[in-house]
Amino acid sequence: MQRRDFFKKVGAVAAVGAVMPVMSFADDAKLVGPNAMSYKTAVDAITGGKTPKASKKIKLKLPEIAENGAVVPVTVEVDSPMTDADYVKAIHILAGKNSNARCVDVNLTPANGKAMFATRIKLGGTQEVSALVELSNGDFLIASQSVKVTIGGCG
Amino acid sequence: MADKRKSLIKLKPKKFKDGEVVKVSFMVMHPMDTGMRKDKKTKKIIPAKYINSVKFNYNGKDITTMNVWESLSVNPVFTTYMKINGKGKLTVTYTDNTGEVHEKSKKIKPKG
Repeated sequence: MQRRDFFKKVGAVAAVGAVMPVMSFADDAKLVGPNAMSYKTAVDAITGGKTPKASKKIKLKLPEIAENGAVVPVTVEVDSPMTDADYVKAIHILAGKNSNARCVDVNLTPANGKAMFATRIKLGGTQEVSALVELSNGDFLIASQSVKVTIGGCG
Repeated sequence: MADKRKSLIKLKPKKFKDGEVVKVSFMVMHPMDTGMRKDKKTKKIIPAKYINSVKFNYNGKDITTMNVWESLSVNPVFTTYMKINGKGKLTVTYTDNTGEVHEKSKKIKPKG
């Protein structure tokens, strides 16, 4: 490859990269992988078009700075009595900029006694992690926190 | 091969009474490959292998069910709470995208 060709190619890549951020909100074209799903599509798929309310009932525990993106501990706790009449139906953990935004859906029942879920997730880079909670009366609540990732965990 | 995978169910606290709410963790040694990573030596893409769904079953009743995607870490841990409701058996089952099924159970004996 000649020097001239090299600069042409680098220039083309840079141009595409500049356009991408605008596009990324519009569609899933940028995303790769077998189950690619953007954050917006994931939220729509879960809520069915409803807008989730931001709530302080959800306690989302995450490190502010994650040194290793491959192992990021997440704990979601929801303030709920967990009785047959009023309980948390599901907890969804979403990572905004992963190529598949959906990490895990947890379907709970009153037999759990306490609405809490903890696991460890992979994060591809610095991004916002959200916990989307579905209540038994059909309401959706959301809480988010941004995590700074030093070394990405995907790829 | 399915049965060779190591897994563990942990209850906290270890001693509990009937009706108490205890913490349950399920851990499993699983690669959780996303299908996007390359092998550094052979330069080939490692095929996707990740857990699809996890089920916590206590005395024949599904307490917690989960749909899982590839964004969970290697050797994942799933922690929830559970209300103890008499003697019985807790069974955790998972399936992965290649069809592997694994089951682990633990006896539950409340005291007092």
